[in-house]
Amino acid sequence: MIKALLSHYWRHPWQTLFLGIGLVAGVALWSAVQIINQHAEDSYRQAQSLLGAQAHYWIRSRRDEGIDPDTYIRLRREGFRQLFPLIELEVSTAQGTSISIIATDLLALPGDSFDAGDSTREFSQTWLNFIQPPYRAWVPAVLAQELGLEPGEQLELRDGRRLPPALIQARAQQGRRVLMDIGAAVALSGQDRFSYLAVGSIAPHRFDLLAASLPDHLELIENQQHVDLRELTQSLHSHLTAMSLLSFAVGLFIVFNAVRFSLWYRRSTLLNLRLMGCDNRLLALAILLETLVWSLLGSGFGFAIGVLLAQLLLPSLGASLQSLYDAVVEINLGLSPWTLLQAWCISLFGLLWALAWPLYRQLRHSSFEAARSENLLADETRVRHWLALAGLLLAAVATIAYGRIETVTGGFVVLGLVLFAAAWLLPVMLAAGLRLLACLLPARLLLARWMVSDGWSQLPAFRSAMMALLLALTANLGVGSLVDSFRSAFVGWLEVRQSADIYLRAPQVSHEQLLDLAADGNWLADSHHRIGVSTRWRNRPTLVRGIDPTAPDSLTLPLSRWQGDSAGAALQSWREQADKVLINEQVHFLAGVEVGDHVSLDGDRGSRDYEVVGVFYDYGNPYFQFYLPDQVVAKQWKHYHSRGIALWLNPDNEAAMQQAEASMRALGAQPGDWIARAQIRRLSVGIFDRTFAITAAMNLLTMLVAAIALLASLLAILQERLPQFAQWRALGLRQSEQLLLVATPLLIFCGIVWLLSIPLGALLSWILIHKLNIISFGWSMPLIWEIAPALRLALVIGLICGLTLLLVAFQWRRQMPLALAQLGETV
Amino acid sequence: MLTIKNLCKSYAFADARQSVLQQLDFDMEASSSVALRGESGSGKSTLLHLIAGLDRPDSGEIHFAGHAIHAAPESQLAELRRSQLSLVFQQFHLISTLTVHDNIRFQAALCGRQDPAYESELIERLGLADQLVKYPQQLSRGQQQRVAIARALLHKPMLVLADEPTGNLDEASSLEVMALFSDLVRQAGSSLLMVTHSRAMAGFMDRRVRLHNGILAEDE
Repeated sequence: MIKALLSHYWRHPWQTLFLGIGLVAGVALWSAVQIINQHAEDSYRQAQSLLGAQAHYWIRSRRDEGIDPDTYIRLRREGFRQLFPLIELEVSTAQGTSISIIATDLLALPGDSFDAGDSTREFSQTWLNFIQPPYRAWVPAVLAQELGLEPGEQLELRDGRRLPPALIQARAQQGRRVLMDIGAAVALSGQDRFSYLAVGSIAPHRFDLLAASLPDHLELIENQQHVDLRELTQSLHSHLTAMSLLSFAVGLFIVFNAVRFSLWYRRSTLLNLRLMGCDNRLLALAILLETLVWSLLGSGFGFAIGVLLAQLLLPSLGASLQSLYDAVVEINLGLSPWTLLQAWCISLFGLLWALAWPLYRQLRHSSFEAARSENLLADETRVRHWLALAGLLLAAVATIAYGRIETVTGGFVVLGLVLFAAAWLLPVMLAAGLRLLACLLPARLLLARWMVSDGWSQLPAFRSAMMALLLALTANLGVGSLVDSFRSAFVGWLEVRQSADIYLRAPQVSHEQLLDLAADGNWLADSHHRIGVSTRWRNRPTLVRGIDPTAPDSLTLPLSRWQGDSAGAALQSWREQADKVLINEQVHFLAGVEVGDHVSLDGDRGSRDYEVVGVFYDYGNPYFQFYLPDQVVAKQWKHYHSRGIALWLNPDNEAAMQQAEASMRALGAQPGDWIARAQIRRLSVGIFDRTFAITAAMNLLTMLVAAIALLASLLAILQERLPQFAQWRALGLRQSEQLLLVATPLLIFCGIVWLLSIPLGALLSWILIHKLNIISFGWSMPLIWEIAPALRLALVIGLICGLTLLLVAFQWRRQMPLALAQLGETV
Repeated sequence: MLTIKNLCKSYAFADARQSVLQQLDFDMEASSSVALRGESGSGKSTLLHLIAGLDRPDSGEIHFAGHAIHAAPESQLAELRRSQLSLVFQQFHLISTLTVHDNIRFQAALCGRQDPAYESELIERLGLADQLVKYPQQLSRGQQQRVAIARALLHKPMLVLADEPTGNLDEASSLEVMALFSDLVRQAGSSLLMVTHSRAMAGFMDRRVRLHNGILAEDE
């Protein structure tokens, strides 16, 4: 019996292929994201394992001045062996690429911070080379490839300095950073100060002693990076999961189609088996066994492709996570059998879901009824109506739930409801479209009417493929519009916010000295020295910034909400009154703080309340941020840090940039300590593009899956209706007319789907921007909707249709002669 | 009108080729009707397919209405099929998404031959006047076959090729439909070549031939 049932797959290799492709594609996309998310989770869990899995605390300078080695040596001598120094540097290569360097003293690391178990001679030599001049720079392979760096080569920096000879290898958690010995970093930077000290596992009484031993200008901070990373990146990973589930759903539509057709084609086999005494239970069991085999194959191959996809997507995502959240994700993929098990479960679930209704329908009918195609076609109308009803129900639930969205998951559930409601309503709309077109066509255009009316015959086969296409198009338009809106808002915001020509971040450079030098050279038009304090507010990393209220970028600070009549008036009141504060959108949306509310901020001189007079845009920032006039911050927090100096150059002085650079160098700044506006924009837009590269890749893959669904359906139609087409050929129909007969309903359906996807895509981006984005990231932006992406997608659909029709024509040419020869049955 | 010379056709079965038609010769006059009989598998339908250009002969010639069917390109064959030929099968092959009226007018619309008066007459004689707005699946098998006949004749083809046209009907309906069919073919001035197993159906034709071992011979 099983052999009889399985023989279908040998006789219909296309069906087999499409069932396989649908299942594998869906599982692959889902598991790729799952693997990435799981991997990122593991990375966060092991965060800082290289430079202190036990770095439970950090010792930092309150004024961001670094830590002098004497203090470090003194503390070590006092018995605090858990301490080890770190230097972090940002440098620019000769080609202008920014790279991060992290350096430590390997000999000072607590015992199990490094996997020192390998004691081969080669290993020892590697370590000796690492810690002895000329040292080694450990460069991750991905970064080395980007920089075109060969082993042993010394990377040249913008100012002509060179890194130690490169060793292309990386330790866990090194991410995209270059790792070197602290001695090498001191030699490179020319500064004899550590960025901070890490503190490993320490007993409570020793901790108290350590805290007491610290000089006043140093602070001991708990390492909450892991907690913060999980919290900050959770939304991004939720977004990715949602996209992967969407891709899986699109893949599932192919599976649904293929399973449906596999049962349809086997109706006579099933009938014969039933006539020979196989009862329904036995048949169902056999088909379920077949499903089990398919799920194993689908999950196995899907997972393998998912791993490859994850490997392709991970470097770009890892770079984004590092840029946005400072989250280091190990580039080499770690796999968990749990993910494979999940992939199998989800593929089995998908198959069973796809199989349940058609199998029930097939076995429910009496033996002869089940074999008659007319019954299945009649059922189609019923199914269409039931689907529409279910779709309406989902839409109603989504409408009710929309106002109650409070979490990212809740938001995605509503999105899912909206998308599935639309997908389930689609068959009824396609039918309505056919009916409308049939009414519009004049009676004399018989052939045209025939081509339109043939859509009724094709609708059952196209139903699932069109749902898949609708989901793929909607996701493309919706997410595309979100990205376009974000890009436009982000670039515009950068234009206003990053208006200075140079941003200098060098604690050793004093603002006053710089102003003195500038006064001599006439190269400076304006400047803005920002100060700030890193703290936690409502258990989230927070920056309190002290900014000069009269600086150019403060005067034009773009506000999304404000108190009073205008943004200008709100800024004016903030400038003039010490108890007013500006908050970023993250504080407004994530902490629910409104304009007019009072927030309490803990300063070194106690807690103080401030009235919120405005909310400013702060795209891409995962932290809470409060803006206070610099005088207020300086007064309230005695240990504030310099947050850099923004410089506006004199536009009339052509040599201003050179003079500025010379002045900064003269005050001890190194190239890499400052960044020009063009470069900061390039970097920001680069980070932006990299962040959304994975979205674009997922969109593309989802479209590909939808295209496969379309092709599968067309080929199924061809297979199923070949005798009919042969008969029409016998009536004198030309091949081109026959192709048109298939193409017309296809284009009508695609047209309707495309038209529907436009408002649906807009709705999707609306929900993404106005609900999910706010819940996830805490910022809003205006929705920008343009017709160009929709037109581009129309072109893509046209291409997909053209290609699939071409394949169909090719198949036709191959199969039609046999079908023609088989016309009539009285030979 | 139709001349066939030395027609050969064979098919591959497993490792061997089985000859279906061997050096077959056949002539058919305009406005005549011929019943083609023979055992199952004797090649009757194959011959019909070759005449309609749906299949290609191994060798030999088929000339129809001045066209060399055996050598004509597909486009010319399609043109011939839509304007000069008609095929009627046992399974009717009506278009389920079009009304009865549209089905009747289908082939005439394909070749652009509209004749409203003849159309009305045909519909009237076939008793389909009350069924025009229905869909094929709403009709009985006898009615469906009448629709197929109307479709085959409306454009007045030179030759109608019928393959067991009443094979799906009971005996009474078969006789009734056949009488009407042969009468209408005559009235349209068309020729009819009909494959049938039934002696009774063959009795409606002017001439009867039998296909045996790939060779055509006059039937008694």
